[in-house]
Amino acid sequence: MQVELQLFATLRKYAPDQPLDKGLVMNVEPPLTVSILLEKAGVPLDKVKIIMVNNRHAGFDQELAAGDRVAAFPPVAGG
Amino acid sequence: MTERYARQLNLPHWTPETQQHLAAARVLVVGAGGLGSAVLPYLVAAGIGLTGIVEDDRVDLTNLQRQVLYDTQDIGVPKAEAASRRLAALNPDVEIRSHRTRLEPGNAAAILAGYDLVVDCTDNSAARELLNRTCLNLEKPWIHAAVSEYFGQVTTLLPGGPCWQCLSGTGAPADPPPAGILGPVAGLIGSVQATEALKQLTGTGRLLVERLLVWDALLPGWAEFSYRRNPDCWACGRG
Repeated sequence: MQVELQLFATLRKYAPDQPLDKGLVMNVEPPLTVSILLEKAGVPLDKVKIIMVNNRHAGFDQELAAGDRVAAFPPVAGG
Repeated sequence: MTERYARQLNLPHWTPETQQHLAAARVLVVGAGGLGSAVLPYLVAAGIGLTGIVEDDRVDLTNLQRQVLYDTQDIGVPKAEAASRRLAALNPDVEIRSHRTRLEPGNAAAILAGYDLVVDCTDNSAARELLNRTCLNLEKPWIHAAVSEYFGQVTTLLPGGPCWQCLSGTGAPADPPPAGILGPVAGLIGSVQATEALKQLTGTGRLLVERLLVWDALLPGWAEFSYRRNPDCWACGRG
C-alpha cells in the first residue's frame, strides 16, 4: 500500500530526496505502524519527537492505512 | 495615548476598552533571543501595561544575525538591560520589568505569579518543562514556540486544555545540539506568538489552541496539526 512520509526540520537529512513540496511516497506492505515506516525510511526513532498522522497527533504504534500521511518532527529547541 | 495606538483602535472589534484592557495586562516573556526579539517589541508597542523579561545572558556577536533587538554596541551588555533600554525608548508609556536570572525551579512560581500570560521564547526543553509545570500549577496560559534551521512551530496552551507535555511526550530525545537558525524564521514565529498574545489578552479571534502551527521556509509553507489532551500525560493527566 502507499503512504506518504513528510520529514520536517533536521529530520530532512534522512531523506535528502524528499521533494520540497510534499512527502516521500512509500510503498510498504501492511500491517504497518508509524515506527515501521520510519525504520524503513531510515529515520532513527530516537530522533523523532512529534508524530502526526493525517494532521492529527499520533504515536509510534499507530497503525497506518493506505493513503495515510505521516509527518515527523524532531525535538525543536531553538529560541 | 489614543494617537499612539490609532491603527489598533481602527481594527474591527478593537475599542478604547480593548486598549485599556491591554494597558492593565501583565505579560512575561521568558527568553530574549531570536523569538523574544520579535515578541517583545510588538507587545510593548501594542501597549501591554507590564512586560516582564526573564533573561540572564549577555549579548554576543553571534546573536546579532537574528536577535535584532540588540545593536553591535550592546555586545557584552546583559540582554535584559539592553532590551529594557530599547523597549523603553519604543514605548515610554508602559512598564518594562527585567528579571536578570534564569528561570529555575526555585524562582519560577514566584516570577510567573505576577503575570497574566507567559510567552515561551526559551531555547531548551528543560526550561519548557519547567514552564509547563509552573503554568499548570498556577493555571497560567502560555504560548509555546521553538525554531531550528528553516523551521518553526507555535501553539497556544490554556488552563484545562492539553499541555506542552501532551504534545511533546512522544519519545524523549535529548535536545539537539545548537542548530543554525535563519534569522527571519525566528522573527516570523515570534510575530505569530505576539499575535496570539494580543488575541488572547483581548479575546479576539480564534487561538492556536489544540493546534500546532508550523512553518517550513524551504517549501515555503505553513501546516497545521491538531492535538488533544492526553489522559495519561505524566504532567497534566493520570501520569
